[in-house]
Amino acid sequence: MAVLINKNTNVIVQGITGTMGGTHARLMKAYGTNIVAGVTPGKGGQDFEGIPVFDTVYETTKHFRVDCSVIFVPPYYALDAALEAIEAGIPLISVITEGLPPQDAVKLHAAAKANGTLVNGPNCPGIITPGECLIGIHPGSIYKPGKIGLISRSGTLTYEIGLGLKQADIGISTAIGIGGDPIIGIDQIKSLELFQNDPETEMIILVGEIGGSAEEEAAEYIKSHVRKPVIGYVAGVTAPPGKRMGHAGAIIAGNKGTAKSKREAFEAANVKVADTPYEIIDLVKQELAILA
Amino acid sequence: MRLFEFEAKELFRELGIPTPVGQTIKCAEEVFSIPAKSFPKTLKTQVLSGGRGKAGGIKFADNQEDAYHKAQAIFKLPIKGELPKTILVEPKVTIKKEIYLAILIDRAYRGPILMASAEGGIEIETSENIQIVPVPGANYSNFYARELAAKVGLHGIQLIKFAAIVDKLWQVWTKFDCDLAEINPLIIDGDDNFIALDGKVTLNEDSTGRHPRFAGQLVNHLSDLGDREFRGKMCGLNIVELEGNIGILCNGAGLTMATMDLVLHKGGKPSNFLDVGGGANKDHVKRALDLVSSSDDVKVLLVNILGGITACDEVAAALAYYKEIRPDAKMVVRLVGNNEDKAKAIMDKAGIPMTNILEKAVEEAVSLAAKA
Repeated sequence: MAVLINKNTNVIVQGITGTMGGTHARLMKAYGTNIVAGVTPGKGGQDFEGIPVFDTVYETTKHFRVDCSVIFVPPYYALDAALEAIEAGIPLISVITEGLPPQDAVKLHAAAKANGTLVNGPNCPGIITPGECLIGIHPGSIYKPGKIGLISRSGTLTYEIGLGLKQADIGISTAIGIGGDPIIGIDQIKSLELFQNDPETEMIILVGEIGGSAEEEAAEYIKSHVRKPVIGYVAGVTAPPGKRMGHAGAIIAGNKGTAKSKREAFEAANVKVADTPYEIIDLVKQELAILA
Repeated sequence: MRLFEFEAKELFRELGIPTPVGQTIKCAEEVFSIPAKSFPKTLKTQVLSGGRGKAGGIKFADNQEDAYHKAQAIFKLPIKGELPKTILVEPKVTIKKEIYLAILIDRAYRGPILMASAEGGIEIETSENIQIVPVPGANYSNFYARELAAKVGLHGIQLIKFAAIVDKLWQVWTKFDCDLAEINPLIIDGDDNFIALDGKVTLNEDSTGRHPRFAGQLVNHLSDLGDREFRGKMCGLNIVELEGNIGILCNGAGLTMATMDLVLHKGGKPSNFLDVGGGANKDHVKRALDLVSSSDDVKVLLVNILGGITACDEVAAALAYYKEIRPDAKMVVRLVGNNEDKAKAIMDKAGIPMTNILEKAVEEAVSLAAKA
């Protein structure tokens, strides 16, 4: 068991013949993901290294049970691609694309909500259930299968933690890279809910960063709904106000969105907060000792 | 991309939002081309930084001579380090009431919100009197605007006229892919007309590529950035300047922030935030190295790369080149992940020590910086 994806998940790749889509379709397939088809308009009938390519998402659903679509198309075409996948009834969509115009993101999430579609991202590394299924751009070898749920707004920082855990011989159930944009689909609260309901996940790591109030809202949710231990971390203690720190969502506006406020919210929800990424590993070990 | 007030007002007028009928001047002498009979006037410095009124960037002039001296002073007055290239000259207007109005995306609502306050001209971040109406899914209709009008206490014809302005500001916001479209203050004049006395428009930088009219405009709208931040922007590197002495080069926004935090945690001071992004090649990393080290304040360079899409050997090749041209530069390098072995070989050959343990790298950088 894991959340969102597992060894039985059938995946299609939209934009499979592009540079990004091609590279990562190859890596996902090598990891063991069931990539059943690719979609590139105008290239239907071709195949990409043994993966059949279709013109439309709808056609792929006539040939396969499609559980998930991973989108690698350029920013100004990503909304259209995602709407196509939603309309075709695919239950889970991961938008890896960085730089999606926010007004497109609003439309995407409104359509997803109306259709009950789960959207991961945009601007995210995707999701991995180690040893079973990888969607997106996580370096698969960095994670070991196990019982910790990992939620993060960042890509490489997620890898850093996955790697640290692996070096300590600790594995994860699923890692969800929720994305660094202000408007995202599967958020911290949804991820917490999924991990709380997953019998195989024993503990949750929540990696936040400055900007917005998602961590504060997640902390409220943890207080009332999460019974599993949660380890928290917030990146950006040293970030100056008003400056966008790489991610479009990572900006302190006025006195809102600071690392301090997020840490305090976590602590008030009985979340153990790490000062550094490697302290997360120490806290996980301590909690594992208590659980054992 | 933040627009200057006079540009924001051009977009407003294009979509039917009334503004004072003004003109821009590029030098103080230009005020003599303004008809003497049209005075008094307001002179407004055109800068991107906020707080220009308090800093003395807005002045009233009774006649040409007065305007000439005041314009001279404004052209020489930096606002938070930023000198104006343009002054906007507008007629003085009678103000019966001031309102704050803005449209922006709110993360919590996952969509746009209309925001207004019955007190205009205020610092909106610190005001407590703000009314919000979300527009779910960006499916706008005039009733949202009327709801907002009622919330800020407008009635009768004023409610209808206000809602009509919101309609037009909504068009500005959607048509140009704005992050923010704000009128502060939106005034009601002596004849009950609504006029945008000030305008603030921030275009979303990920979206300007689909608006040909803004092509090549970014370079003219960065006057509020520091030198390294400006140069970084011009070559696609996201750098934020800080005040310390350890230059940081990292990949991924979250990891870069975490690395900065670690430096501080270990007692050091980061000089910048620089995220080279995913999949950076040798040349991109070279430019990033130049940028980080171009400040005299930087005593030690801390490189932290976790190779996912980024190949460590590409980064190593750039570091080896850098070592050749700057043999005395103090560098602490942590490379781990994709092609780490190839990178190690390149680094050994170049004589640059590297580690794959982040904590160790940070400790070393902090200790080197303390000795420098």
